Amino acid sequence: MALFPFVSNFEGDFLLQLVAVDTENTMDEVAEAAAVHSVERRVPRQDKPLRVRVQGADAPLARDITVKDAKLAPMTPLEIYYEG
Amino acid sequence: MAELDRMEWYDLARTTSWTPKYVEQDELFPPEMSDPHNLPQDVWDTYDEPYKTTYRDYVRVQRDKDVGVYSVRAALGRSNFIEKAPEGWRSILKSHYGIIGAVEFTAAIYCSRAARFGRAGGMRNTGMFGILDEIRHGQLEFIFPHEYAKKDRQWDWAVKTYHTNNWTAIAGRHFIEDVMVTRDVPSSTLTNGFCLETGFTNVQFISLSADAARMGDYTFSNVVNSIQTDESRHAQIGAPNLEILVKNGKKDAAQHVLDLSFWRSWKLFLTLTGPAVDYYSPLDRREKSFKEFMEEWIIAQYERQIADMGIDHPWYWDIFLDELNYAHHGMHMGLWYWRPTLFWNPVAGVTPKERDWLEGKYPGWNDTFGKAWDVVIDNLLNGRKEKTLPETLPMLCNLCQLPIVAPPGTKTFKLHDHTHEHKGRLYHFCSEPCKWIFETEPDRYEGHLSLIDRFLAGEIQPMTVPGVLNFMGIAPGEMGDDPCDWIEAYRASVKAAS
Repeated sequence: MALFPFVSNFEGDFLLQLVAVDTENTMDEVAEAAAVHSVERRVPRQDKPLRVRVQGADAPLARDITVKDAKLAPMTPLEIYYEG
Repeated sequence: MAELDRMEWYDLARTTSWTPKYVEQDELFPPEMSDPHNLPQDVWDTYDEPYKTTYRDYVRVQRDKDVGVYSVRAALGRSNFIEKAPEGWRSILKSHYGIIGAVEFTAAIYCSRAARFGRAGGMRNTGMFGILDEIRHGQLEFIFPHEYAKKDRQWDWAVKTYHTNNWTAIAGRHFIEDVMVTRDVPSSTLTNGFCLETGFTNVQFISLSADAARMGDYTFSNVVNSIQTDESRHAQIGAPNLEILVKNGKKDAAQHVLDLSFWRSWKLFLTLTGPAVDYYSPLDRREKSFKEFMEEWIIAQYERQIADMGIDHPWYWDIFLDELNYAHHGMHMGLWYWRPTLFWNPVAGVTPKERDWLEGKYPGWNDTFGKAWDVVIDNLLNGRKEKTLPETLPMLCNLCQLPIVAPPGTKTFKLHDHTHEHKGRLYHFCSEPCKWIFETEPDRYEGHLSLIDRFLAGEIQPMTVPGVLNFMGIAPGEMGDDPCDWIEAYRASVKAAS
């Protein structure tokens, strides 16, 4: 377990933010942590699952994979977006 | 005895590039300070400053200017204009004085470097008068807000800001020290004199002076006008220098420092002047949009100047033109959202009428920034003000030290972290030009820690927003706030609709 800061690039928001989770957190938990600072603040909530991908990647990371297992480096820019 | 006409003795009087007898030339003018290009002295002797003045004339003119400014101050000293002025106007003044005031003294150091290390007599002469100019500006920018400090502690930041770790101060120091006081003299007369002082200060000083006159704030209008007349004179230290560099095969070096300075100046002024002109300035007193001021004072003027000098457009020109449509809107929203970090009270400036104006000036505003503001407005209408205040930090660029912004509400991920790994450290940039500036001189910038880097390194404790505010030296009573009474315009329209 370790603190994992990352750069949150939340789809529909106007700026990048610093967000921290734990290396044991899953991508769903990463997305929820990022959403706290964007959704219903400047981005409307949608009734769809949130997905996480490394900035510029074609595909999202699996929803249940942990930060540690995904081998993400601290301060990686992550894109968080509503599926579909 | 009849006096000689000034122009009969001026050139001789400022021809002071004597041959040193007791030290070597390089000891007198170290190349790293005076001329890394090692141009011969006879080349520097061709330096011809376009605006020539003598000490006697200088003192006479400056004395008249000071009499004008301080007379207005004395005459209007008992007026309560500031108390009656709209909050947006006070925000313009507080942000201006806090961010610009102490920088004037750094500019005096820049001028003193030119006065001491310039290879041309004319450059040293212009630098000498520039020192006197900048000290005068610093004094003006301190004394005028000082009298307001007893009314409101935020005015104290006119003197305080530059000496704190407020994020605006970290960004300001990084920029100002880069372009003013840490490069060789020929380069800094281009980065500062030719680029920053000739062009960008016009946007702040002239646009605000015009707004101030329309507002009836004759004190501020006089101050900034008086300062800008000095700037437009001593800024001319750069043009003859540029001419010498281009004529002597150093165009690439000149192009490089001009390009970096233009971009860095753009980033600072979009943050300072953009919100002031398009959001803080009362709607009924606005003359032009920030973009229109930029087009008139920067794009047209700078393009003409560089063309005259044989300099190309910066390679990132299209990126700049694109940012002109959105970057200051993002910066404004960030300033408003993170308002506790500010020493002014940023008005939102997004009432229905103001939005109509923004949409007219920036077609598409309602579909991008407007959508993000809609969420803010919904929170305020429904009593969720806490959702309009920050619980984390924005990512900051490792070059300009400013938030990384883009138009919201799109599905295209225009928002992008321009990363670069250097010596095992991951750096984050707001844009390709900021990344380019870093990559071209990594040794220069690699050691600097942004506010985010300091936070992650544990230098800021506790690691919370209140901890960050304490690190910035900003206390309750000084922190920016918005009573959000503008939301009543929306509440009224909701009632009318129901």
